[in-house]
Order: sequence, then C-alpha cells, then structure tokens
Amino acid sequence: MRLPTALRGGVFVVLLVTLPMVGLQHWFLNLLVFVLMYATMSSAWNLVGGFAGYPSLGHAGFFGIGAYTIALIFKGHVLTSGYEPFLLLPLVGLVGALIGWPIALVSMRTRADVFAIVTITFLFVVQTLAFNLHGLTGGSQGASLPIAPFPAATFELPFYYVMAALLVLTMGLTFATMRSKVGLSLVSIRADEDKARGVGVRTTGVKVLAFSVSVGITAMVGAVWAYYQSFIYPQFAIDPLVTIAIVLMTFLGGRGTLWGPVLGAVILESGQQLLTYQLGAVQLYLIVYAFLFLVIILLLPRGILPTIEDRLRMRRRRRRTDASAARPGDRTPQNQSDSAPLLGGGAS
Amino acid sequence: MSDLLCVHDLTKIFGGVRAVDGASLSVKEGTITALIGPNGSGKTTLFNIVTGYLKADGGVVEFDGRDVTGSHPGKLYRQGLSRTFQQARIFPQLTVLENLVVAGGYGWRQLFTSRVGRKDRERAAALLEEFRLTDISDLLASELSYGQRKLLEFAAVLMSNPRLVLLDEPTAGVNPVLIETMERHIRERNASGITFLIVEHDMTFVMRLCDPVIVLDAGKPIFAGEPAAAQNNPLVLDAYLGS
Amino acid sequence: MHALIQGVILGILTGGVYALMASGQTLIFGIMKVVNLAQGAMVIMAAYLAYELFTRFGVDPFLAIPLTTVLMFGFGVLVELIFLRPLRRDDKSELSLLVTFAVALLIEGTLSVTWGTTYRSINATYANSSWTLWGYQITVVRIWAFVLSLGALGILFWILNRTRFGRAVRATVQNPESARLLGVEAQWVSALGFGLGAATAAAAGSVYGLLYPFYPGSHYDLISRLLSIVVLGGLGSVGGAVIAAVIVSTSSAIVAATISPAWSEMTFFVILILVLLIRPQGLFGNVDRGAI
Repeated sequence: MRLPTALRGGVFVVLLVTLPMVGLQHWFLNLLVFVLMYATMSSAWNLVGGFAGYPSLGHAGFFGIGAYTIALIFKGHVLTSGYEPFLLLPLVGLVGALIGWPIALVSMRTRADVFAIVTITFLFVVQTLAFNLHGLTGGSQGASLPIAPFPAATFELPFYYVMAALLVLTMGLTFATMRSKVGLSLVSIRADEDKARGVGVRTTGVKVLAFSVSVGITAMVGAVWAYYQSFIYPQFAIDPLVTIAIVLMTFLGGRGTLWGPVLGAVILESGQQLLTYQLGAVQLYLIVYAFLFLVIILLLPRGILPTIEDRLRMRRRRRRTDASAARPGDRTPQNQSDSAPLLGGGAS
Repeated sequence: MSDLLCVHDLTKIFGGVRAVDGASLSVKEGTITALIGPNGSGKTTLFNIVTGYLKADGGVVEFDGRDVTGSHPGKLYRQGLSRTFQQARIFPQLTVLENLVVAGGYGWRQLFTSRVGRKDRERAAALLEEFRLTDISDLLASELSYGQRKLLEFAAVLMSNPRLVLLDEPTAGVNPVLIETMERHIRERNASGITFLIVEHDMTFVMRLCDPVIVLDAGKPIFAGEPAAAQNNPLVLDAYLGS
Repeated sequence: MHALIQGVILGILTGGVYALMASGQTLIFGIMKVVNLAQGAMVIMAAYLAYELFTRFGVDPFLAIPLTTVLMFGFGVLVELIFLRPLRRDDKSELSLLVTFAVALLIEGTLSVTWGTTYRSINATYANSSWTLWGYQITVVRIWAFVLSLGALGILFWILNRTRFGRAVRATVQNPESARLLGVEAQWVSALGFGLGAATAAAAGSVYGLLYPFYPGSHYDLISRLLSIVVLGGLGSVGGAVIAAVIVSTSSAIVAATISPAWSEMTFFVILILVLLIRPQGLFGNVDRGAI
C-alpha cells in the first residue's frame, strides 16, 4: 500500500499544480476553487465524522467563524500585496481550533447523539450571534473585506493555489492519521467505543484532538472563501446547507477513506455548480441534497470507495478459497464452522 | 492465597427487581473460580458491576485490596482487571493484529507513532503464535468466524498482562473442539499466574476446569466450594430445579 | 419585580407548549434510541397545515388539531418505515440521526417550495385579545395553548399508562430484550412510537402557528430549544421533558424580561452546556456505560 499511495499523492499534487496552466476559463477556475473548497472541508469533516464516527452537524458554524475572523482582522485595512490574508490563515485556524476544543470537551464525553445535538445547536447559536452582534459582524447587512488586488485576468489563481494547498495539507493530515495510532484509536472508537474505553484507549483525548484539527481547517477554508467573496452575509457564511453538503460528499465518496471525501466533492460540487443556472432556487438544493443523502444512505451506505474495496476483497477471498480447496484439510476461515449459538446464553 | 477480588453487600435494583441483593463473595488469587446460577440469578449483573460497566446501588468492590467500586472499565483494565463479553466483542474494522495492538495499550506519546510498528508486532507475536492466529493476523476481524472471534477476544485481553480475567460465558455458541482449546488456554494462563472468574452455563466445562464454584440465586451467593460438593448441595439443587 | 413575575408566567405558559413537543421527541428516543432531528420541522409542517386549513377553509387552528394529528401520525409512521427501518444494525445510531436530519431538511425544502420563505402566522380573531389578572397581562391565545398542551399531555400520559400500546412502549423503553421476550413486537412499537411523536408535533404545530410567525427555516430555532430541553430532562424521560420545558422556557422568559430579549435566545444553549458539564444524563436520564 505504501508506494501506490505516495505515488497517487504525487500525481495528484502535480495535477493540481499544473491544471490552471493550460489556460482555463474564469468560470471553470471558479468551479475548481469551489470544488477544492468542498473537498477540503469534506476531508476535514471526515476526521471526525468518518474516522471517529461522530457526525458533526455544526461545521458550517466554524466555516463562518473563520470567515468573520478574517473579516474582522482586515476591517478597513488597505492591502498591499494581497497575500496578507493568506499569511494569517494559520492564525484563523488556531482560532477555530481553540473555539472547537472546549466544545469538543463538553460534547464528546458521553455519546455521539449528544455530540450531534451540541453541534447543531452550536451552528444555530453562531448564526444568531452573527445576526445580532452588529458591532462585530455588521449583522444582516453583512461584512466586507478589502477586495483582493489581484489582476482581473488571473484573479482566481491565488485562491485556487491556496485552496489546493489547504486540500493537500488536509489530505496529508488524514494520511498521517490513518498511519498512526491516532487513526487506530479513532477506528476502534467508531467500531465499539465502549469496548475501546474498556481496554484503556484514551477516547476523549483523541476525539477532541480530531475535532479541533477538523474545525481549525474548516475555519481556514471559511477565511479564504470570505476573502474570495469580499462580502459575506450571515445566512451564507453560516449555512446549514454547507453542513449537509460536506456530510453528503463524505458519505458518497466513503467515510473513513483518504480519497472518498475528495471524490464526493468532485462529483457533487461540479454537479451543483453546473446545474446552478438550471435550478436557481436555493430551496431546491435543500430538497435535492436531502433527498440524495437519503438515497445514498439507503442504497449505498458505505459510499463509493469502500463498496469497491469490499467487492475487490470478496474476489480475492474467493480466489484464495479456490486455491486452498485444492489442498483439503487446510484451515482457512471458510472451512472452520461452528455450531449455531446455543440459546445465546439466556438472561442471567 | 489472598483474596484478589472481594465483593461486599453488593446491591443493584432494576425498577423494583433486586437483581443483585446484598451479595458478598471473594475470588482467591491463582484460582479458576466459576460463577454459576440459574437464569435470572444476577450473574451477568454482578459481572457488569465488578467490571465497571454498571453502577451498583450499594456495596463495595475490592480488587487487590483496593476499593474500586464504581471505577471505570478502562481504569480497571489498566489496573489488571479485564473481561470478555458473551458476544465476543472485538473491533470488526481492524485486523487481528490491530485488535491485539489496541488491547495492548499505548501512551500519549505513542499516539503519533506508526499505527502498527515493529515493537507492536513483537509484543503481539507470542500471543498470535500461541493462539494460532499468525496466519490470519492481517485479516479484518469482521471476516473471522464466531469461534475465531472468541479466541481473538481472549488473546487480546491477555495483551495487557492482567491479574484477573473475567470470562463471560466463554463456551457459548462454540463447537466442542474450540471449547477444549479455550480450556487449555485458560489452564496454561492460570499456571502462569492469572486468576480467572468465569460465568458459565456449561456444567461439564465448569466441573472439569473450575475450583471453587460459587452458585448465585436470586441475586445472592448460596454456595461456594468444590464443584463436586455443589452438585450434591440441596440449596443448589433447589435453586436450579425448584422454581 | 413585576417584569420578573410576568416573565415567569409567560415562561410557564410557553413551557406547556414546548413540553408537548419535547415529550414526543424524548419518547422517540426512549423507544428507538434515535434523536429525531426532524421534530422541529414536523411542528412547522403542522403549523403550515393548520395555516392552510385556516386561510383556505376558515377552520380554527384548535379545531384543526384532530385532523392534523391523524395526518402527522400517518406521516411519522411512514417516515419510520421508509427511512429508519431499512438501516443496517451496525451503523444504526449514527445513521438514524443523519437520516432524521435529512428528513428535516427535506421537509424544510418542500415547505419552502410550496409556501415560499416569507413569514406566515395564523391570525385568528382572538389572537390579540388578552386578559389582565392582578396587573399581569396574559394573552388569550397563550392560555388556550397552555390548556391544550396540558390536555394533549394528559392524553399522552393516558396512552402510555393505560393502554396496551402504552405498556408495550414503556416496556420497550425500559428493557428492549425482555419486552421482546414478552411478545412485544419491537418493530410495531418503533413505527407507532414515531407516529406518536409526530402526532405531538401536530398538536403543538397549530398552537405554534397562533403564537409565533414562522417560515420554513424556523425549525432550526425550534429543534435547538427542543434538544436542550430533552437533554436537560434526560433522554427518554417524558416526565423529565415536561419539567425541563418549563424550566428552560421560564429561564428564557426571565432573561428576556430582566436582561434583554436578544440574550434570552442564548439561554437554552447555556443551559445545555451547563447540563453537560454538571450532570450529562439530565434530570431523569440513565447513565449508560455500554454494558451491552
């Protein structure tokens, strides 16, 4: 597994870097920026929702926090190179992580249900605060950022590259997580949390870490988006539709995988951007996304990549059985049979 | 031989039903003690309380002389008290080897090291060999048969070098060959110093392997002693045949 | 002081309505261990139904309740059968949550498309009249809402405690294994239980429509409050939900009266965090250590 992933990663990075150089139209570059945006957010969500099995419904809130943070920092500023907001991204990420830390501590101690409850409530609270704290956020009038002084011909490029960098960073973190004991712990939590706790896994610590990193990244994405838009409104900066989009994308591609969220984002975000002109109304997106989500849960619950992986594994198993069937008496998983559970033990 | 596990006056009430009713018992170090009783006698409830999965309404649990009443399962695990489950709880999405590594435990600093490193393999190698799991060590636990899962769960629980292992119906749903294997492993481990407390329904298994035998009825122990004596004890017979 | 007492009165009256909505939600959790994130959306849906009946046929919202209750009951059963039942066992709890969330959004989207996103309210003729008792003003609607909620809660308690279905529900909540052994069909209990939860939303919907202006997105505000109430009361405890509803509503109203209306919106969130910090299982919930 080692070389192929590194190779795949390398090819991907090269692709990302060279793609804009072929001279793409503005609308396509814009599409790519949004695809990268959602790919990054889905990958970040995947750390908590996919690996740990804790579905956060409030990530859109951190997106908004990132957006408003950068707006606040640069309120009334005059930009010189235009790269200042990008340089301050790590700070925004830190702000997101610092806010996420106590939220995680409070909500991740008991069970995933409570966690979902707190995150969805948090989302609503952040949105309410964005509307109410006029002094900080401009309320429903919105907040503005200085317009990026990039040449109009290549306006999208810096945003594209920054988003691409964030995506590569997030995927790198995901990869590192999967290869380390953090990932091992997270999967054990998702598999059977009570058992994991029972064998001494430091469940709360690992979960809180994953959440903080996840929302820190999401906040950074929000900041880049805010700079890209130059003007943000609370209902778009903190939008439940964003939450369901990233959840849907992660589910579609496959939770707990490296490439799944990216695949999901590519499919859905390109689809959404391309259909924007046809559909128009936001309410329709709500219905489409919700409906798509329900269909995926019912028909393809594991997502695209894990389903493919399962099929491949089944085929490998069948080949193994056929090979060993030629040598009778060998112990393979299929040959070992156990009697049916007797009464299942009964209630004691 | 000292008492490794001591339970005093343990009580647990479920909406009016006294599942465990002022139970007191002790498990001597170095033994393979059995906990038996008819359905509804409170064995599983007692088990769950001792291992920290349920909070008692009254009473004290002492492990190795220390009061551990109400302690969390993870804490007990680190102190040397571990358990298996009737349904063989393992981590299906992890491989056999990874299951052992997780059970083996690791500290904060090791979190950022390799998922399964050389040291982990070395630690697990002996157990894998002993339980004949080496060939399938890279198989996902979800692909194992029920019997293999039981073996894996048992092996995993030994990774932490426990002093007391509580087995929850180790022979439930398992074929006779595997029962013999489990018995052998329990004896071997007992010989190397691990104490066992086993909840079981299979009487022949209990009679062969365990001494002493504690019989529970209506939430309280009614007998503790040699297996042969248990079979002839009027109270025990009454508990099983009476109601 | 006057403002304080006025706030308390308002809180208790509003608390009744929230108690009704929350009881349905916590009941669903008790039976199926699923947090129904669509509860708020179902209330709003019922509010729209009542609105439509009122504006089109002149049916008084209170009188519309029997009809909307039956409709929503059926809707709830359908949702359970179509979306929740097919979920595979291993992922059941985390997926159920997301499924109910998706259903909530589906409802919101459909309501938006059908009625648009402008605020609506049911302007019954008695909507603005109020009584004055000992110098405290109480709107007529609120009194009736409170009375109705008490009545509906009474019916709910009667169902739970006096009927076979109710007994089956309580048995399933306390101990699913034993309930199954005693012949209780868990499948039916789940579907009907969800329907019952939806029915409480229906009753509350008419009232909600009378009291507050609403639009499809109102369900977020509502579900956040309901969730805080249910957590405070203890997931699965209907009695707890009722008490918690009164506590949260009263606290909110007191804050609105004494500090500021804007901050009263944060009250439920503060309460939620406090509960999770001090006593995560709520007032009457169970501490779950995962023995199964």
